[in-house]
Amino acid sequence: MALLELDAVSKTFSQRRGGRAVQAVAGVSVAVGKGETLGLVGESGCGKSTLARLALKLVDVTDGRVRFDGIDVTGFASRRMLPIRRRLQAVFQDPLASLNARMTIAEVMREPFDTHGVKLGAGLEARIRELLSFVGLENIDIQKLPGQFSGGQLQRIAIARALALEPEIIVADEPTSALDPSIQAQIVNLMLQIQRKRGISYLIISHDLDVIGHVADRIAVMYLGTIIEQGTADTIMQRPLHPYTQALLSAAPTLAARRQVGWKRIMLTGDPPNPADVPSGCRFHPRCHLARDICREKVPPLRAMPGTGQMVACHLAPEETARAGAEVGRARRGLAAAS
Amino acid sequence: MSISTQLTRWTIARPRGVLLPLALLMVVILAAFTLLPGLIAPHDPIALAMADRLKPPSLTHVFGTDEGGRDVFSRIVYGTRYSLGVAIAIVFASALFGVVYGAVSGMARQSIDNLMMRIVDLFFGFPALVLALAVAASIGRGLDSVALSLAIIWWPGYARLVRGEVLRLRERPHVEAARALGVSEMTILRRHIIPFVIQEVNVRVTTDIGYALVAVTALSFLGLGANSPTPEWGLLIRDSRPYFGSAWWYLVFPGTMIMLTATAFSLIGDALASRRAA
Amino acid sequence: MILSVRDFAIGFQREGQNLVAVDGISFDVAEGETFVIIGESGSGKSLTGMSIAGLQPPTAFVSGSIRFKDREMLKRPDAELRKLRGPEIGLIYQDPLSSLNPVWPVGDQIAETLVAHGLAGRTEARKRAVEMLERVRIPDPRRVTSAYPHEISGGMRQRAMIAMALAAGPSLLIADEPTAALDVTIKAQMLELLAELKRELALTIILITHDMGVVAEVADRILVLYAGRIAEVGPADSIMLQPSHPYTAALMTSAMISQTPAKQELNAIVGGAPGLGAFPSGCRFHPRCPRAQDDCKAIEPPRRKFGAVELACHHPIEAAMSLQVARS
Repeated sequence: MALLELDAVSKTFSQRRGGRAVQAVAGVSVAVGKGETLGLVGESGCGKSTLARLALKLVDVTDGRVRFDGIDVTGFASRRMLPIRRRLQAVFQDPLASLNARMTIAEVMREPFDTHGVKLGAGLEARIRELLSFVGLENIDIQKLPGQFSGGQLQRIAIARALALEPEIIVADEPTSALDPSIQAQIVNLMLQIQRKRGISYLIISHDLDVIGHVADRIAVMYLGTIIEQGTADTIMQRPLHPYTQALLSAAPTLAARRQVGWKRIMLTGDPPNPADVPSGCRFHPRCHLARDICREKVPPLRAMPGTGQMVACHLAPEETARAGAEVGRARRGLAAAS
Repeated sequence: MSISTQLTRWTIARPRGVLLPLALLMVVILAAFTLLPGLIAPHDPIALAMADRLKPPSLTHVFGTDEGGRDVFSRIVYGTRYSLGVAIAIVFASALFGVVYGAVSGMARQSIDNLMMRIVDLFFGFPALVLALAVAASIGRGLDSVALSLAIIWWPGYARLVRGEVLRLRERPHVEAARALGVSEMTILRRHIIPFVIQEVNVRVTTDIGYALVAVTALSFLGLGANSPTPEWGLLIRDSRPYFGSAWWYLVFPGTMIMLTATAFSLIGDALASRRAA
Repeated sequence: MILSVRDFAIGFQREGQNLVAVDGISFDVAEGETFVIIGESGSGKSLTGMSIAGLQPPTAFVSGSIRFKDREMLKRPDAELRKLRGPEIGLIYQDPLSSLNPVWPVGDQIAETLVAHGLAGRTEARKRAVEMLERVRIPDPRRVTSAYPHEISGGMRQRAMIAMALAAGPSLLIADEPTAALDVTIKAQMLELLAELKRELALTIILITHDMGVVAEVADRILVLYAGRIAEVGPADSIMLQPSHPYTAALMTSAMISQTPAKQELNAIVGGAPGLGAFPSGCRFHPRCPRAQDDCKAIEPPRRKFGAVELACHHPIEAAMSLQVARS
């Protein structure tokens, strides 16, 4: 049974001042198993952050169900959510902004215990020290304010806080995006380490395919509020079938590209889509280089590919896109393929 | 529109260099006037001494005397307690009520929030003078009726400020993080929102004391406030009018005092605002 | 050389202390190349880029020399620098809204730069603005000229900003993290556009970034800045594929996530970049360097030639070894 399950969830935001409603998430189903990492990838405006907030019950679904360990928590009020929250924690993008600037690190770190009525008494400080050293922060002054630490240190503190109650899953919304490249790698390593030692699950949301491809067991690709492709990390990174996934993989500039003379990337035209103005048929068709008539008219269902468990929402896949996908995958691994 | 913008308007440049220390010195002086007038004032502020009527500034009467022969300087010193005291009381009471009202409105459901803000709009639209006249008519002329009417039109400013801040802060990542942790809404408000709101309110309160002082003295000047022989500053100016041609000091010193006090608070508020931004 | 920087230093005075952000760096940029300045936050990369255009913060003190086309830029009066920005040097930023005026139609803003520099009359400038928008591949330039910045999409704004930077025909384009806030598909479009414009307009580009993917895509030569000092400078291929400085090597490997087997530990640099005023003694990278020895702590490494690059390191990585580092 899945630990965290979003079942056909939708979220519509009604705008104030009579603006029209925006459907940020439109019927998405994803599940994260015990000890598993699900990576959710997509560009800005695709609804991935809203999905993270739905999973964390920070906003309520307009439609669909949210289940945690088999319990339907969709209608749970905050009081009933409390025991669930102990098992379901979060890490956010900007570590400085996600910590209260006027609280010392000691106060930040004791908040989870206070909130969940965990009385540690005199053992509190030792426990805080233990958590901080677990995330690689030995001997920091916990009486300092967040503003006195670097971004990398703060993200470690945020992770330590998320681990305080020994949750079973952490939902991480762009956990590395606000950090310098050398620090990003440290945080990725830390998250992998935690998973190895504690066996927790992750739902990681990011626009960074490199990070997602590295840490995830399974990947779901979002476009304009829907999932357009889903599968194991290997299949998505190496043999993507949806033209959008292929373009996404192909667009991200990498070191590998430098070694591949003559490799042509799939270039998408146009802007990222606007959730307030959803195209007919396949939502991706205005930017798709393979689009044909049916794509403008009919919404492609998310269908499972035989054998691999890969799911794709495209009228063309897999017959017509498999080759291009394998090529993109090879180009990305560049070095491995070349040597 | 608050009364400060209806009655008068101070625009003050950013404090630089010596201005801020001078403003702080002014506040220290005012505090001394308020707390220990007896030690500072050389003469009795109330007792008449008709022999010394309308004397120009001299060593015995540094700010001169009024038509009753009373020392203008002593009257100003004793008056601080009335003018500034009432101004501070108005601003503190408004801020206290406004913070609670604004916080409730900002955290409440949208329908309740809307209703509460419509009520605020109602108070905002109220003409200050008309209200002051009405209050004076019902409970009588005096500083208490001035305080009441000004507080009534003053708190909505704080309610709006605080509600806006609460709404803005509610969307901040650290609040979202607290919510994800399971922290209750009350604790979020108390621990993660109010401390940041208070920062804003402090700036506003400091600046507003100056505005409120101007408003209080203005209402007294118009005859709605303090009654003679209270040495309230606005009333001093009111009483000085018939003698302006012959006794300039009687008008100029209380007037300067009001101006300096309002400026000092405005400068300090400005300094607080820029420190908070940094 | 279109640009020569010699012993350039920039710093600030804070609480009576002199804090040096960029500490005596020298480099040249050749005409027509894409020169990339890499560095993490606090390395001084943006300060260097902005100083080239004469846009260093007014509170900063500077020394050394920055010569652009044989003109000294550092001690030039503001009015003269302003004349150079536009016709000689174009600037683009991460956030297009920082250079576009929100209450002015896009086309008018582009035309204004031409008029201000006396390059065209009003009518002519307007025509050229439309051409410029066309040049940056805006599909509907006529509509966009009369649109306000908030009325067009983020990608269009980015393009409009580039059009404005290039309208007066500069030969040098300084781009400060131009793609940092963009989605990957838009980032790819932007990089392609820059490459095309560079070819069409014979531009020299100085690109400031921390995105190694972007660097790999466009760089001809690379300057690696660490804590206000040059770690390594040289041809892009040498630096990216065979980094000799341990810092560069670490940057490259930590950027090679896609070549690391999934779920395996990445080759990360320990610690964080030092902040202003807290730069370590000797080699500034030594506290984080896996190859550091005693001399690194005490002696600042001089800059020297090493294979195809110049670097400042006591114990650089030899070529054969560096390939291994790059592959691990």
